Amino acid sequence: MTEENRNGSSFYQVYEVFSKKSASASFQLQFSLLAPNEEMAMMMAQENFMRREKVVDIWVVRRDHIRGMNPEEREMWTNRLDNKEYRTTKGYGYLRRKWREKEQDMLDEKEILSWKEVKKG
Amino acid sequence: MYNFIEHVNGSEPEAVEDEAKYAQFMERIENGEKIEADDWMPEEYRQTLIKLISMHGISEIMGALPEKEWVPKAPTLYRKLGIMAKVQDEMGHGQLLLRVAEDLMAPYGRSREDLMMDLLSGDLKFHNVFHMETRTWADAGVIGWLVDGAAIISQTNMLDASYGPYQRALQRICAEEVFHAQHGEAIVMALAEGTPEQKAMLQEAVDRWWPSLLMFFGPGSAETTGSSKQEVTTKYKIRKSSNEELRQAFLDKYLPRVFSLGLTIPDDTLRYDEEKEQWEYEQPDWNEFKQIIKNNGPRSAERLRLRELAYENNRWVRRALSNEPVVQA
Amino acid sequence: MTSIDTVEALLENNEALQAAKTFLFQLADDDYITSFRGSEWLGLAPHIEEDVAFSSITQNTMGHAVLVYQTLEALGEAEADKLAHARPAGERLSSVYLEKPNGPGTYLDEPHYDWALAVIRLYLYETWKKIRLQTAARGSIRPVAAAAEKILMEQPYHLAHWKMWAVQLLDSTPEAKERLEERIAEAWREAGDMISFGGHGQTFLENGVTADSEEALQLRWLEEVRSVLPAPAELPLKEAGDGRRKEHGSDLDQALKTCSEVFTSDREAVW
Repeated sequence: MTEENRNGSSFYQVYEVFSKKSASASFQLQFSLLAPNEEMAMMMAQENFMRREKVVDIWVVRRDHIRGMNPEEREMWTNRLDNKEYRTTKGYGYLRRKWREKEQDMLDEKEILSWKEVKKG
Repeated sequence: MYNFIEHVNGSEPEAVEDEAKYAQFMERIENGEKIEADDWMPEEYRQTLIKLISMHGISEIMGALPEKEWVPKAPTLYRKLGIMAKVQDEMGHGQLLLRVAEDLMAPYGRSREDLMMDLLSGDLKFHNVFHMETRTWADAGVIGWLVDGAAIISQTNMLDASYGPYQRALQRICAEEVFHAQHGEAIVMALAEGTPEQKAMLQEAVDRWWPSLLMFFGPGSAETTGSSKQEVTTKYKIRKSSNEELRQAFLDKYLPRVFSLGLTIPDDTLRYDEEKEQWEYEQPDWNEFKQIIKNNGPRSAERLRLRELAYENNRWVRRALSNEPVVQA
Repeated sequence: MTSIDTVEALLENNEALQAAKTFLFQLADDDYITSFRGSEWLGLAPHIEEDVAFSSITQNTMGHAVLVYQTLEALGEAEADKLAHARPAGERLSSVYLEKPNGPGTYLDEPHYDWALAVIRLYLYETWKKIRLQTAARGSIRPVAAAAEKILMEQPYHLAHWKMWAVQLLDSTPEAKERLEERIAEAWREAGDMISFGGHGQTFLENGVTADSEEALQLRWLEEVRSVLPAPAELPLKEAGDGRRKEHGSDLDQALKTCSEVFTSDREAVW
């Protein structure tokens, strides 16, 4: 047994806590806490960070098990040129006018998401 | 997206399963709650989801292939970038959906590998439209506009699906479909407003794709092909509407736009019945449909061969990295 | 050397202008053909997740070609779409090594593509691309440096991507290692024109298009590559053709025929 373990120092493991507000929401990182194992981390998580908010699910992940970006990677790998209109609707704004000329509307987000409801046959 | 669901083996209604659990499950569904991967669920629900979502997912992957034929050939730099991004999204949608299906299959010890094997053996079917050939650049437009339009109609109908992971994947997918719709519109608009040759090219593509578009939504009733399972998906609130309702919605949304571009539809009987408030149209050949999705379509073998080659030629890569991966310093 | 700060100033200095244009055409033509070969891979990568990631890199690379063609357009060349689609093989400056097909077959029919070629070629190319952009960014011709700086912003993750694949595969099974080593040996037989300025190195340096000599850049490339790959210590690499001197084989003809098929069916039409 190492000196460290004699003092119980390895009790303090860092866990990152993720939670979901509703069934349709994504997991969000809340904060981190210390616990000796995942069972205890799970037990601590909700009352530490989500005392006042609705939670439907929680993940705890040991920080060592997360491969995050290091500062250099954040600096080097995350920049993107501002030349990608071709992959967004921004590049197709002119269609609105063209469809108007033909007395039709363009298929935009509002229109498409309204198709959730379909007339009953 | 894939509405033609064949009979699922080994999923007879809940004779042996816990009736109390089933009642509780159905109550959750009725209340609009979301079911998660590790929740208890009846076997029929799990099997239906696996069938539906693995077909949906693999159809996205196979759906990348017909459009991909035009990726290197796109006529301008902007179109090259746009169609690359669009086909990439299809692969991305496949990735999201297959992950959802794989988690559902995990209790049976089945994985991505099994899905690929099922695809290659013909056990896992993909959507009828992706068995068809592409002939001209106008096909890239018609696929982006109308085939994707049909897909959008089906997918938005499941945006409230009871299965949480699927519903969340569909949210992401439908948000991207807005870009796809406009990408397709832009290609079609340029051709519709272009030279006589471009207009003819567009009309020819619309004519050729018309039966496939009608087939996309699956047969109107089980009698047509003998094995539609659409009622199971509505019972479990996975989708809301029937095949025919979705087809009618598609015709409602798209036909006025098709006509406004000066295009015609190759069906003399096509008309809108004001009284019934629905489109009358000539039924496509449902026997042909059955043949197509049995991998006997015009390009079924070639498309499957591409996936087979990708699988075979990269076996050494999977083998090389299938153990503990090396983490780069 | 006095710096040339604007497009207008560059247009008035013919020697610098020609040097800058040659450098930019080498860069844009390389990125264009690399993006084309990448787009042929779409749907055929080792797994779906890689297909998605690879495609972003391919799109970015096409985006870089567009940016550089647009810079050339501003320097008096034809519009970017014509530079990409309408120039015959005999006017292109891309490297023959980059034009090499991804494997036997075509992207439509029996594509027996080789991931080892993709990994080695793209790692070697992205390393050279970084070095070439860095020297241009430190050069004294502002319009060229500005384009290089922009591209350098998002290029590091491309290089990191291919480096990761190379490192992991080299450190895996003997089979994978052997496949990669074969492709490394092949590059030393064929990739000579990729890391070459085609006899313009001195002109680039004298006009401030680059801040370093061609030899120094090649040595930098070799050193960086050898820190990652078990590659030969010696330069020069042999070449399969000299694209920098507009000497191409049939691979480029095939590629251009595909890229330009729809464009050339009606050059005046709006697509």
